[in-house]
Amino acid sequence: MSLNTTIEGIEGGQLLRVMGRLDSATAAALEPPLLEPFNVEGARILVDFGALNYVSSAGLRVILMGAKKARETRGRLVLCSLQPHVAEVFEMSGFTRIVDIVQDETAGRQRIAG
Amino acid sequence: MPGIDSSSSARLDYSLPSRLEEIAALANAVEVFLAADPQLAFQTNLCLEELLTNTIVHGLHGEPGHVIRVSLKRVERGLEVTLTDDAPPFDPFCEAAPPDLDADLVDRPIGGLGVHFVRTIMDEYSASHDGSGNRVVLRKLYGGEAHQSQKQESGNEE
Repeated sequence: MSLNTTIEGIEGGQLLRVMGRLDSATAAALEPPLLEPFNVEGARILVDFGALNYVSSAGLRVILMGAKKARETRGRLVLCSLQPHVAEVFEMSGFTRIVDIVQDETAGRQRIAG
Repeated sequence: MPGIDSSSSARLDYSLPSRLEEIAALANAVEVFLAADPQLAFQTNLCLEELLTNTIVHGLHGEPGHVIRVSLKRVERGLEVTLTDDAPPFDPFCEAAPPDLDADLVDRPIGGLGVHFVRTIMDEYSASHDGSGNRVVLRKLYGGEAHQSQKQESGNEE
């Protein structure tokens, strides 16, 4: 299984859908779509993990880079629709306390638009 | 030959070529072997990926052409996982201190979580080396989550 991403514009920012397996072999592929939008001050990105089946520390590393970059550039990074195994990895890492995570895409879109 | 060496209901033996791209195929084989318990399959695969990535990236410095042997064996009280490599001596469990999970975003170091996951998920873990390579043994016991207080960490079994 590999990793696929798509980007679309939404009210107030961009929606990045991440599908497949985010592991040590694929995590580097997430860096451009997740990090480059924050080269612009105040960018807002909603990441939809609804079709992400698996994440490991290599994937969390890229998400942490994104969260730090969003903060540095006064942007906003929101994650939504974490599947149970993905949510479990976020819990174990303590990331649920430092990254903005919402239940579903609807809530995510509100956070980006608001 | 890379891939599954042998598989039965009792054990799975797998030879993993030392490339990160190979780990997903191992994960599929583990999911099949542990099909009756998807949660255990997920936890086992997370631990395997973290340790194998360490071995491939740090132990073998990304050199292709090595083979890491992975065995999953049903034991009386649970599942035993063994990883054997030919990398220089390395004990993942006596490395860095656990990450500070309560640190603020800006203070969180990037990385260092993989071994934390193994310690959190597995009930027992140990590492040893015998001159030809490293051997890591993990055990996940049935009937209960891993509890920090009951966890056993054996030292170097040389």
